Amino acid sequence: MTLIVEDLVAGYGDARVLHGVRLTVGDGEICAILGPNGAGKTTLLRALSGMVKVRGRIALDGAELAGRPPDALARQGVAHVPEGRGTFMPLTVEENLRLGAYVRRDRASVEEDLERVHTYFPVLRTRLKQAAGSLSGGEQQMLAIGRALMLRPRLLLLDEPSLGLAPLVTRELFRIVQAVNAEERTTVVVVEQNAHLALGIAQQAHVLETGRIVLSGTAERIRADEQVAQSYLGYRV
Amino acid sequence: MSSAITSVKTSVKTLAATVPAARWRWLAVAALLAAACYAPFQLAPFHVFQLTMVLVYAVALLGLDLLVGHAGQISLGHGAFFAVGAYATAIMLDRLALPYPLTLPLAAGTAFVLGLAFGVPAVRLRGLYLALVTLAVAIFLGPLLKRFEAVTGGSMGLTLAKPQPPAWSGLAEDQWLYLLTLVVAVAAFLVAGSLLRSRAGRALHAVRDDEVAAEVMGVRLSSYKTLAFAWSAMFAGVAGCLYTWVIGFVSPDSFTVNLSITLLAGLVVGGLGSMSGPVLGALFVMFVPGIAQDINDAAPGVIFGLLIIAVMYVAPTGLAGLAGRLVKKVPRKE
Repeated sequence: MTLIVEDLVAGYGDARVLHGVRLTVGDGEICAILGPNGAGKTTLLRALSGMVKVRGRIALDGAELAGRPPDALARQGVAHVPEGRGTFMPLTVEENLRLGAYVRRDRASVEEDLERVHTYFPVLRTRLKQAAGSLSGGEQQMLAIGRALMLRPRLLLLDEPSLGLAPLVTRELFRIVQAVNAEERTTVVVVEQNAHLALGIAQQAHVLETGRIVLSGTAERIRADEQVAQSYLGYRV
Repeated sequence: MSSAITSVKTSVKTLAATVPAARWRWLAVAALLAAACYAPFQLAPFHVFQLTMVLVYAVALLGLDLLVGHAGQISLGHGAFFAVGAYATAIMLDRLALPYPLTLPLAAGTAFVLGLAFGVPAVRLRGLYLALVTLAVAIFLGPLLKRFEAVTGGSMGLTLAKPQPPAWSGLAEDQWLYLLTLVVAVAAFLVAGSLLRSRAGRALHAVRDDEVAAEVMGVRLSSYKTLAFAWSAMFAGVAGCLYTWVIGFVSPDSFTVNLSITLLAGLVVGGLGSMSGPVLGALFVMFVPGIAQDINDAAPGVIFGLLIIAVMYVAPTGLAGLAGRLVKKVPRKE
């Protein structure tokens, strides 16, 4: 699914956060959004899933998404893994996963997808009847991504998947995201503070600063362009 | 002697180990139901009446629990929906002379529609603000009922004939009312249970636990927040209808703000978000004020309040949570 974003303006009430963002993500690509705190990375994802009011254009394979409510976008196949995972703590792991398929009506293939999520995240299979709140941080992040996959997403939005996780767990998580992307051909937009990891799996990257894209290019170029990256990201890539 | 005790203990343990937990629950429910059917034929009429009122409150608390325990909202005015159900029934019986079985679905429907209307502010308000709005509803209902005297009977209220047992049954009035209420209450619990296990129930829990995550998965927050109010009001309306059948009298003074507060306190004491919580809460609301009166005739309210505090101290998750913890202590495996 090709995602085209043009002149995207978004914010909260009177406070504007994004000032005309323009980007294109090719079908089946992984796109990394990098940038310092407060640059508008989370707002960009929230705009793409209909959680904030927007102006401008968001098109997913030609279908216009801007200005539509979140449930309509979920029906269009936009799955958003929110920052901090959004685990439904008192519900079981299985209930969490089934909620991911909330907008789907095709029962039989939901069962298939449950099985598919288990092959990506074998640890979840052993915890199905357990309260999701009893999972570790890494497991909850896996649950959050698994839950998003239950939507059969055409566009997967990941917000800071590495937040609060051990480096080893994070690396494993990114490996699985890469596998999902390779097998399902799902287009992925990932917002990440850990630029090194994100550039490792992405084909292209954009650096966001105070609501504008200040640097775009292939992941290799951004990674190679150390001096630019350093000045914009404030740390070595 | 001690060896006999040990062998009994072992056999209880093996029994506990062989029967899975889910089946224990069904056994407990079946035993409770059997006792509930047997009770009216063994107890004095006054006690049968008390048990009937426990069932009425249990249905009201079940409705309130849908809103508070399962949808994570708050209502300090649920007595108003209870009153709407009670008054709708009374007006239908008295002014329209409808047969009483018809009043149940109509009272439920009336409360549902009103709940839907009051669910709209719930979409925008939360926490304390929502509590305040619902409290206002409970406060203005009394004066409103007194104002439209031609329909509501004003402050005198309405006195009605209670549903009479059919001649073939050979039952006394109190037994008939109890059994009617029991059937409706069991049906209400079955409906609520299947609602909560459905896709809609999961969505309701999702909205309660994380609004953002629920919304991005396609759950429409506004629909579920209003629906939770409507469902909740509907059960309160059913309870109100049962109340009118059983008491045969409604007046504005029966449904003060105090009723709303008592319902919420009963639910929290019973336990939020479980099926046993509303029943335990109803038992508490029905019997503990009497116990408080026995302890100290001069200040039963103070004793009742202290008892609530004591229960919340011992069982912060309510009586249902306490019961759950005790059950878990029973050894399941050798």
